[in-house]
Amino acid sequence: MSVWAREDQYAYFVALIFHAWGMALLVGGGIVIALRVLGAGKAAALPKFRGFIPVMWAGAALAIPSGLVLLVAYPAKALTNPIFAIKFACLIGAAWLVRRLMRIDAPPRNSRGLAALCLLLWLGGVAAGKLLLHTYRILTVT
Amino acid sequence: MDADHLINVAAVAKWGRDVGIYDLMTSRWGWPIAECFHFIGLCLLFAAVGLFDLRMLGVARGVQLRALHRLIPFGLAGFAISITTGFLFVMTTPDQYLHNPAFLLKLSFMLLAGVNMVLFYVVAARTVWLTGEEDLPPLRARVFGAVSLLCWLGVMTCGRVITAYRPPAYFWCPWC
Repeated sequence: MSVWAREDQYAYFVALIFHAWGMALLVGGGIVIALRVLGAGKAAALPKFRGFIPVMWAGAALAIPSGLVLLVAYPAKALTNPIFAIKFACLIGAAWLVRRLMRIDAPPRNSRGLAALCLLLWLGGVAAGKLLLHTYRILTVT
Repeated sequence: MDADHLINVAAVAKWGRDVGIYDLMTSRWGWPIAECFHFIGLCLLFAAVGLFDLRMLGVARGVQLRALHRLIPFGLAGFAISITTGFLFVMTTPDQYLHNPAFLLKLSFMLLAGVNMVLFYVVAARTVWLTGEEDLPPLRARVFGAVSLLCWLGVMTCGRVITAYRPPAYFWCPWC
């Protein structure tokens, strides 16, 4: 499967395209929610922004399987790179903060600070993902 | 038709070297950092514009469109970041882009998105401001939203395959 993902004429690029769409939807939803908590578009009620959560789930549903294909294609490349761990720390942290910010019944005290952090983590996760291409030490083991 | 007849690729490459873009971008971190910002810009653009389009198409009803539109300046800022870094890529290795069908299709999608945006503001925006927060905007506004969304997904798709169509694979490119 690793060889297929790496050497098939289309597999790798199809996975890249789905990964891009998925990440755009996932990160796009996260950014919109963070900006709203920071005060942009205040005239729209924050609880209604829950409607964008399914968009983020759809994005994750595209980005995770396609990301697994990309990972399987070059497992040593990603798993030996500390940037890969940073990417996941950023994305998991950002997703957790979105959950926290959307708990309307118990809003966090410093919600604006958390939203700013959330925005930075989404963008940092994307930047780290991009850096993976330029920072690997090992491409393949064999 | 050869892109060389429209644009002198060699002259563009020379300009990129003369003004220092080439040296900046071929330094150890020049290209990677520019790529990070290119993607950050695209994320901001898609967040503001793509999710506004989705709301027009009926996602997240209850979010007032007029209020959601206040996020568009963040999308414009993202667009400015992506255009600037994209310009740096093209000026560094113009032959890799100006002969590249994926890149030219990407530019076409951006042009279509631009025309679509202007028409949206001329023809449909007023009806969108009056749309109730639980309601769908009129059909023509939804069509503009769908075109915009497809254009930006197309831009991303083309961007991802630019490396697959890179010269000297001239056989990809019907007019090269």
